[in-house]
Amino acid sequence: MEKIEPFGEGFVVALAPEFVLVVGLFTLMIVPNLGDAKFRIPLTQIRIPWFFGGSRAKFESDPRLPGLFATSFLTVAFVLATMSFVNGMNRTQIASGDNVMLQVDEFSRMFELIFYGALALASAASVNRMPATTRADRTASGLYNNRRQVDFYILLMTTGLGMSVVALAQDLFLLFIGLELASFSTYVLVSFMKETKEGTEAGMKYFIVGSVASGVGLYGLSLLYLWAGSLQFSALEVAFAANGMESLPLIALGMLLVGFGFKVSAAPFHFAAPDAYAGATAPVAGVLATASKAMGILGLLRVLLAVASPEATDGAAVWLVALGVLSVVTMTWGNIAALGSTNPKRMLAYSSVAHAGYMMAAITAIGALNWEDGHVNLSNDAALVVVTALIFHLTVLVCFKLGAFLVLSLLESEKGGHTLESLGGLAKRDPFLAVAMFVFMMSLAGVPPLSGFVSKLLVIMGIVKVALLDVTVNSDLSFADIHWVWYLALAMVINSAISVFYYLRVGLVMYFNDPEEGREGPLPAGRPVRLAILACLVTTVFFGVGAGQLIALCESAANALVGAW
Amino acid sequence: MTTDWISMPLVGLPLISSLVLLAYVATVSPAARERLGPTVRMVSLVLSLLMLVLTTAMFFGDNYIEGTLEWASMSFGSFNYEFRYEWIEPLGINWSVGMDALSFPMVWLTTFLLPITIVATWHEKNAAVYFPLILMMGGALIGVFVALDLFMFYVFWELTLIPMFFLILKWGGYDRKYASQKFFIYTFAASVIMLLGLVTVYFLQPENLAHAGTWTGRTFDIPTLTAHAQSANAGGEWFLGVGLQKLLFVMLMIGFLVKLPSVPFHTWLPDAHVQAPTGGSMLLAGVMLKMGAYGMFRLPLSLFPHAAEHFQFWLLALGMVSLVWGAVVCLGQTNLKKMVAYSSVSHMGVILIGIATMQPLGWAAALFMMFAHGIISPMLFAVCGAFKHHYHSMEIGAMRGMAKHSPWLATSMMFAWMASLGLPLLAGFVAELMMFLALWHFIAAEGWSVLWMVGPAFVLAITAAYYLWSMQRTIFEGGEKTQPPESLHGQPVPDITDAEKWAMVIMAAFTILFGVMPWIALDMMNGWTVAFFETLLIPILTGGA
Repeated sequence: MEKIEPFGEGFVVALAPEFVLVVGLFTLMIVPNLGDAKFRIPLTQIRIPWFFGGSRAKFESDPRLPGLFATSFLTVAFVLATMSFVNGMNRTQIASGDNVMLQVDEFSRMFELIFYGALALASAASVNRMPATTRADRTASGLYNNRRQVDFYILLMTTGLGMSVVALAQDLFLLFIGLELASFSTYVLVSFMKETKEGTEAGMKYFIVGSVASGVGLYGLSLLYLWAGSLQFSALEVAFAANGMESLPLIALGMLLVGFGFKVSAAPFHFAAPDAYAGATAPVAGVLATASKAMGILGLLRVLLAVASPEATDGAAVWLVALGVLSVVTMTWGNIAALGSTNPKRMLAYSSVAHAGYMMAAITAIGALNWEDGHVNLSNDAALVVVTALIFHLTVLVCFKLGAFLVLSLLESEKGGHTLESLGGLAKRDPFLAVAMFVFMMSLAGVPPLSGFVSKLLVIMGIVKVALLDVTVNSDLSFADIHWVWYLALAMVINSAISVFYYLRVGLVMYFNDPEEGREGPLPAGRPVRLAILACLVTTVFFGVGAGQLIALCESAANALVGAW
Repeated sequence: MTTDWISMPLVGLPLISSLVLLAYVATVSPAARERLGPTVRMVSLVLSLLMLVLTTAMFFGDNYIEGTLEWASMSFGSFNYEFRYEWIEPLGINWSVGMDALSFPMVWLTTFLLPITIVATWHEKNAAVYFPLILMMGGALIGVFVALDLFMFYVFWELTLIPMFFLILKWGGYDRKYASQKFFIYTFAASVIMLLGLVTVYFLQPENLAHAGTWTGRTFDIPTLTAHAQSANAGGEWFLGVGLQKLLFVMLMIGFLVKLPSVPFHTWLPDAHVQAPTGGSMLLAGVMLKMGAYGMFRLPLSLFPHAAEHFQFWLLALGMVSLVWGAVVCLGQTNLKKMVAYSSVSHMGVILIGIATMQPLGWAAALFMMFAHGIISPMLFAVCGAFKHHYHSMEIGAMRGMAKHSPWLATSMMFAWMASLGLPLLAGFVAELMMFLALWHFIAAEGWSVLWMVGPAFVLAITAAYYLWSMQRTIFEGGEKTQPPESLHGQPVPDITDAEKWAMVIMAAFTILFGVMPWIALDMMNGWTVAFFETLLIPILTGGA
């Protein structure tokens, strides 16, 4: 592994996608403000061109410019992150002295692909969504709307930057800083529609609950520091392996679980999620459901697996039972609540809670492995299966969950999308959107051969594999020999069956109900959104039918995390 | 020349062409879509006929295609037209297809029913979407039957739900929303339980079965798994252990019993059938229900014969209850289609009893019942559909003295009803007779009371009763003063269209053909069951004699 000092040789190259984002941030701030302003040196008549303010060139006063900038910079970052896979991953550590801060490997890059992909799609979808006044509207609100364009995309980019720090971090504190950067950006993004009551309320709830969760997590972090004297993953790992059963680190771990549990919207920390999703614009809600959730899962993986892996009394991880119980509660709660929601965004929010439960069940399965000397022994390949399943699930979630939110976003632009009825007759009004939405719903429900099925199958397979790890097949084999995490898989399939009901309902409404009054015509054109939806649709189908490539990619990513154990 | 790839287009052609047609149709305006209808219909018909020609050629394959193909004397575990292509390599998932005497009749039946369905519902509205969906349904069904890979099997298994869901939803009756939802949720819920069972089996196999290069070290290959289970079951040993084998058997059977459907899980069927359009019903009853029975033979019975023997009584009980309950409920129906749907439940009970006897004769009866019911029940539903289409009502007794007004429909109805109640020389009779013999034999061998025969015998009488009674009330009653249905509002009573006539005649002809010469299909089924018993069941269940 190559080691690079911060701002040393090769630093920029190693972190190229992140630097693209930074450059993009500056571009977003500077370009719309460029003008012919001059600075007069006091007491003289000498005017020095200063370029900030004044009358601006025509292209930069176009309110859609920030959106296009943000989309293209995020796309470039995405492509750069992909390129590092294509060119063969050059694993790199950014370290000052012995302090490893960031690590570039397949694992972190894969998560960056998820983040950048989701953000780029959301950003493309927002280009038509933000109230923008393209003509020279000199009223205050017109100008105000145009100014806010920049803010929105800056926040999207900082979200991306924060998330990539989380992906790269090798130090728990650094990870938390990235998490907070991303979180604060999303708090503002959620309440960005501050004219509406829902937007403000959603932002408020999301912020309060989120900051409490962050605070608790941060307190856990400080306890951990108190105990181990370092927040380096490697140092924590050693400390846990030596004496992880002390009460201090266990309390700290529980508190961190709260912090990350909020991010993945795990029960009982999920209460703010439905309100936040419903109040935010659909692309932002899509980001919360995909990228933000991936960030939370990433944190859980890092903390629970890479750091707190050592054995308890029975050879399993200490947090095993707690997480297992939480996962079942989460998936059941999410699904049952989704059954009763009539707002499609709330429904998707609860479905996202349910998916969080599935993923936590998978993480539990890793905890159930036999841990020896603080490391996974022979069962490394089982952990590999589970982590691969998780990454695969998070990746394809961007395709169909975000896709569903983008469809809702088009409905929102005609003030719909808050009731299930506003989807009525979509099949007649706009067949493309209806087909896309139906495919997304089926994929969420896990109907083959869509990618949602493959991801669910992978997760189930991972859990079952772990459950059967210690089983030697002979004729005395009875059901009691199977590890109890098998029941998590059972809970998962039962929950999948429940979930079909509400996913199917969306399809029924689209194809069966008549359009609402005043919604008979076709939906607004919105070419960028439609392109984004098309991209989601194609990948949803492609990653289902031709899952092999993506699985191989996720496997290499999982290997970067698990192989190091 | 090797023709092993032939099953690939058999699945791919209908699926891909239907997707292409649908994608094209979706882009045009509603008016153009209306104009495209006849063209799309013709394309679908030609494609389905092409597939029928293909499968029929496969039947005669020993002379025409392959040189040495013998469906009837295949050894157990071997397949014709095997083809394998790596699909999702890391997980050991292959596109692996092949046909044996278990699956081939079902494949032929599917390709036989596709053109029939298209012809019988020639005038269905919104044709440009309807006929591609029928094609897609056919492709998915064939996929289920030819799949030799668990993953592929499950994918196609679920894929059949989607076109059927839309067929019910878009072309169904007044309560189609409820029916399509119930149909989807019921069968999906059962399938996910089956999926968990399949995944558990997948991970419990020893690691040396998979081809090199798979990342989990396991395979989804059905023949490999079956062969492994066979050796692991040998000598009275239980593959995977007693408790687990029982549990997995139950988990898999739940998926298949709901699809079949057997009595406690049957309630989705009447709803789906009554609301489904004629074409949907024909395929649903004709082939989709048989997926359940097919799956039982292919997976739980092959993998877990010990558990099958253990649960033999329960299977028999379920079959008996389905048989009797379905028939008794039929008596009380006033809706023609609902009656026919419940009669399907009753006939599926016959299949279950045949399986439960655990004898070659009983199994061959079950297989032949799958086939015969696959020809007869589409005709039943075609008659119901024609009734509904022309009289705008489904009530028994809405129309009296049909024989006078609509002789073609009356004749078709009479023929179909007779075929279904098991008139000798028609296909259904052969299967029922075989089932009775097998059951009698089983009861005698086990030393059970002869009272066990009362239920099935009683059902024969009930079946005759509900069919004859409904015929009396629709075809004959009324005499000179016949009563045209009120729903026609005084318009002249029409007879069925020429397209419907053709479909009826062909189905009737094949019902007679397989009634008079059942050996055409029965030979290969018999060969398969005997091979199954000789190579797999008998050595295992008798403790490796």
